Amino acid sequence: MNFNLDLMISSFPLLLLGAGITIKITVLSVALGMVIGLFVGIARISNIRIFRAASAVYIDFFRGTPLLVQIFLVYFALPVVTGQRVDPFVAAIGACGINSGAYVAEIFRAGIQSIDEGQMEAGRSLGMTWGQTMRYIIVPQAFKRVIPPLGNEFIALLKDSSLVSVIGFEELTRRGQLIIAKTYGSLEIWISVAIIYLVMTLTISRFVAYLERRFRADDKH
Amino acid sequence: MISIEGLKKSFGEVEVLKGIDLSVKEKEVVVIIGPSGSGKSTLLRCMNYLEEPTAGTVAVDGIVLDGEANINKVREEVGMVFQRFNLFPHMTVLANIMLAPMKVRHIEKAEAEKTAQELLAHVGLEGKATAYPPQLSGGQQQRVAIARALAMKPKVMLFDEPTSALDPEMVGEVLDVMRRLAEDGMTMVIVTHEMGFAREVGDRILFVDDGRILEQGAPADVFEHPREERTRIFLSKVL
Repeated sequence: MNFNLDLMISSFPLLLLGAGITIKITVLSVALGMVIGLFVGIARISNIRIFRAASAVYIDFFRGTPLLVQIFLVYFALPVVTGQRVDPFVAAIGACGINSGAYVAEIFRAGIQSIDEGQMEAGRSLGMTWGQTMRYIIVPQAFKRVIPPLGNEFIALLKDSSLVSVIGFEELTRRGQLIIAKTYGSLEIWISVAIIYLVMTLTISRFVAYLERRFRADDKH
Repeated sequence: MISIEGLKKSFGEVEVLKGIDLSVKEKEVVVIIGPSGSGKSTLLRCMNYLEEPTAGTVAVDGIVLDGEANINKVREEVGMVFQRFNLFPHMTVLANIMLAPMKVRHIEKAEAEKTAQELLAHVGLEGKATAYPPQLSGGQQQRVAIARALAMKPKVMLFDEPTSALDPEMVGEVLDVMRRLAEDGMTMVIVTHEMGFAREVGDRILFVDDGRILEQGAPADVFEHPREERTRIFLSKVL
């Protein structure tokens, strides 16, 4: 076996550029997923039947089909319908964010349902509307509780973002493939790629653990 | 102030309230007693529509409760104190009290804070404004909950077993606050197991059993000369 350390070192800056794009896709997708997830999650437990039904369909569809297929749907199938090419960046963020939204919705739903019913009753008894009670009382408390599962979702999405390499988007995994195509250094490059992913996911999990500790300390006061 | 006619409430197959007629006058203190599972908490919760009646009507201050249309308006006028306090644990004591006046009554922050501080002083907790509910004892939490309800300047206060979740040594401090409230002329409906308090503070005692008001009257009459056998048996167990 021939291990080329120089190749590893020389390709590192290029891979880091890819990692930067991976981070960008992930952060934007998580942001999109959180917004979608919050609304779909609340709709899932709303009193209004059509909201409940629509959010259930959303969650079932996007959790029940592979992200890879969803990326193909957005990038290749959607243009057939609209007649317009979809920008790979938009397709990547769109597919990842919409997919993540389904998972985040379930996380928020569970978090909201874990809050004692008495909190909603207290808010409503004071004359606040359902929406006001959700906004000021329920969601802030639920948010603290869902930080660990949201962290898991963040990590999962960062790894899954490698799938957008299939539409030619040059994030970390795709960069690796391109370098290997030129250098044939499969061993060195895939090890480098794996290490960079690992560093990123470990950083996130440490950060989530820190947030969790801070909020737990917050609860005790 | 509160007027209830033919009120029935079922949970699934179980009929908890089997026809209640009741009217509560302004400044009246009505105390509801009765065995566990008799429906007294459900009756109280129907008065601010936390439970939707299966049949019959509940009217507060002349407004018939009929669901979302007017429910928030009525609830602004009806304060509720729960057995388990239900304070908002992520907010300071002061923020707990200020929230609803600001969001529902649209009162300026400075004024809401002033009122909140006055109410805290009124319930003997002036030093606890910046504390968080989990840092307080049960008795203190319940007094904050009373202050929070009072901040809306309600016309009626409902108390759902306000001392049942408290350690015995903390019951007195909460009852003191309620006693003063009654003396100040607040209209109150109280579900409680504190018979001494019921007798002292209540203008009228309702004995509820099996979903019906079995007996009612002045405290002296109900406690000294209960007419119904069921009332006698209940009182002999709790007194």
